[in-house]
Amino acid sequence: MPRKPNNSRQTRALLAALLDRSQTWRHGYDLSKETGLRSGTLYPLLMRLSEQGLLESRWQETERPGLPPRHVYRLTASGRSLARDQELAAIAAERAGALA
Amino acid sequence: MNVSAGRWRRFAVKLARHAAWVLPGARSPWADAMRRELDYLEDDAAALRWALGCVAASYKTRLASPLPTLPRMRGRVGRVAGWRHAATSGVLMLFIGFALLENAGGQTEPPRPVFKETTCDLPNVSPDIRPRLRCGTVSVPRDYDNPDAGHFKLAVVVIKSEQQPSWPEPVVYINGGPGSPLTVYAAYQARTPYAPRRDLILVDQRGTGRSEPNICPDLERKLLDANFAIGATVTEEGLDRRQAAYLACRDQAIGRGLDLRNFGTRVTVEDFERVRQAFRVERWNVYGESYGTTVAMTLVALYPDTVRSAVLDSIYPPDPVPLWSTIVSDARDAFFAHCARDKVCSTSFPDLAQTYRDTLARLDQNPLVVTLPPQMRQADDRVRITASLFEVGVSNLLYYPNAYPTLPRMIQSVHDGDAHGLESDLASQLTAAATQNLATHAAVECRDRPHFRAQLPVGASVLDRKQLYGVCGHWSEPGPQPLVPVGTPVPTLVLAGQFDPVARPASSRHVAQLIGASARFVEFPFIGHNVRRFSPCGARIAADFIDHPAQAPDTSCADRIAPIRFLPRIPDAPRDR
Repeated sequence: MPRKPNNSRQTRALLAALLDRSQTWRHGYDLSKETGLRSGTLYPLLMRLSEQGLLESRWQETERPGLPPRHVYRLTASGRSLARDQELAAIAAERAGALA
Repeated sequence: MNVSAGRWRRFAVKLARHAAWVLPGARSPWADAMRRELDYLEDDAAALRWALGCVAASYKTRLASPLPTLPRMRGRVGRVAGWRHAATSGVLMLFIGFALLENAGGQTEPPRPVFKETTCDLPNVSPDIRPRLRCGTVSVPRDYDNPDAGHFKLAVVVIKSEQQPSWPEPVVYINGGPGSPLTVYAAYQARTPYAPRRDLILVDQRGTGRSEPNICPDLERKLLDANFAIGATVTEEGLDRRQAAYLACRDQAIGRGLDLRNFGTRVTVEDFERVRQAFRVERWNVYGESYGTTVAMTLVALYPDTVRSAVLDSIYPPDPVPLWSTIVSDARDAFFAHCARDKVCSTSFPDLAQTYRDTLARLDQNPLVVTLPPQMRQADDRVRITASLFEVGVSNLLYYPNAYPTLPRMIQSVHDGDAHGLESDLASQLTAAATQNLATHAAVECRDRPHFRAQLPVGASVLDRKQLYGVCGHWSEPGPQPLVPVGTPVPTLVLAGQFDPVARPASSRHVAQLIGASARFVEFPFIGHNVRRFSPCGARIAADFIDHPAQAPDTSCADRIAPIRFLPRIPDAPRDR
């Protein structure tokens, strides 16, 4: 049976973190710390979400002198929609579990 | 396994570079994204874990990619060989990485240098430049062999590139002297970028400008006066007076607890390496000018992995060097020969070389007197233009292409007994000399240059007597010498000016040959010392090279530099009727 896309535990954790502060540009290390995902897992997910149009990215100047611009990310409208759907689904699943 | 903090970081950087190499070309922004995060990780072990993850991410992505080939490998053989290489090196690096990681717990990491930001108190900074400046200090060990000896604070200014976002790999500009200040000129540097898309890092080398230490705060003026006196009159008394001023400075420095062995190019290079670490710059583009080329070459030789490209503008040649007077004489002869070939110059000044020699002979017999502004602090505000001072003055003017059009006319005027045009030249030369940290100049040169311990030949020119002969033997013991990066793979651009009185083009070409196949040499006609500063063509070539060091720069503009527009001789004043 084919896997449902963007429904792995790691992807859901990432989407939830991005949705949590959906208007804030987030950088990779920040997301890694929040989600507990290592860079080896995080970046393939970010790349995939970006290619699916769920994530936007840009280079952000830093206030710290001498340091290069940093790649930052936030969800697009479709990304936010997907993340909310997943959040609702998770809540529904929790409730279902509680009622069972 | 004993792994230093620096090695850890370097290894993490190598892993990240490998990760970038593995990723398909279309995903190169992601490679950059992962790699740049490293710069923000304070902890080396965390950086290494991050880099290992980057390698894993790249391989995962690569394996999922429909593109079958690895970068720079094409065809079926390339595919097989490429994947085999990638798999092998990836596994190998992961293995080594984990091995290093296991050792992380037991390491005591030395403190990493940091950039401490301060307010920018710099002159001539216009409102449009101010937001681009970051000023601060980086503390470096006083004595790299003795960690308990304390620290010196170096003044550092970062100029963010005007076009944002700036490209990675900033430029570090290493200025000359030794002993010249730099950060005080940050506003000028901001207006004349070396590579417009890159940040620029400026450092006052130890003992210069606003960096610690000020070796002889009370004696700099005495050193300046003593040097000037030698220029004015070549007497044993003048030389003795100069030596006494330097020895008093040395004694004062030692009395204040300074160890004069903690100077020299090799020490300066270590300082630059600490500045690089403070900014977590993986690789930078090094631009050395004049004496700064000595530092740049030594830096490339000792830390090749940290240098993406090197520009050597007006190379201060390594020892052994000929007497400075012979170098200046060669430049002066080249200038006089050019005048002889130029229609306007040769018509007005048919034998400029002979006129110059005659002028020296006349001044030797009858010095001229000029008046200087009071702020020049000369006795009676008057200076005798002796043959020696004239020789020094002309050699100084050869540095500057903007002096060339009027130089023949000035020589002719002095020959004819009129030295009034010299006041402004002398005043500007004195002003420039007063900005130098002469004690630091001696501290570095006496460590670097064994030839200053030799005896001067009898009858040496004033230009040679103004050097540190007779001083260095008493100042400090010789130190490890600067290096030439012979055979370095670092792409290097060597720039030379036709009439440079310090760095003759032949000498710079020779150094370029020593460096080897990675060096490109460009000579600029009608230019003196510091090519980039006086030649827009040189600046453009340097900027192109810094952005694309692997490519041969387009140097065709050097063949189209406008010739010198000599001013003709001033007509004799009409006689009174």
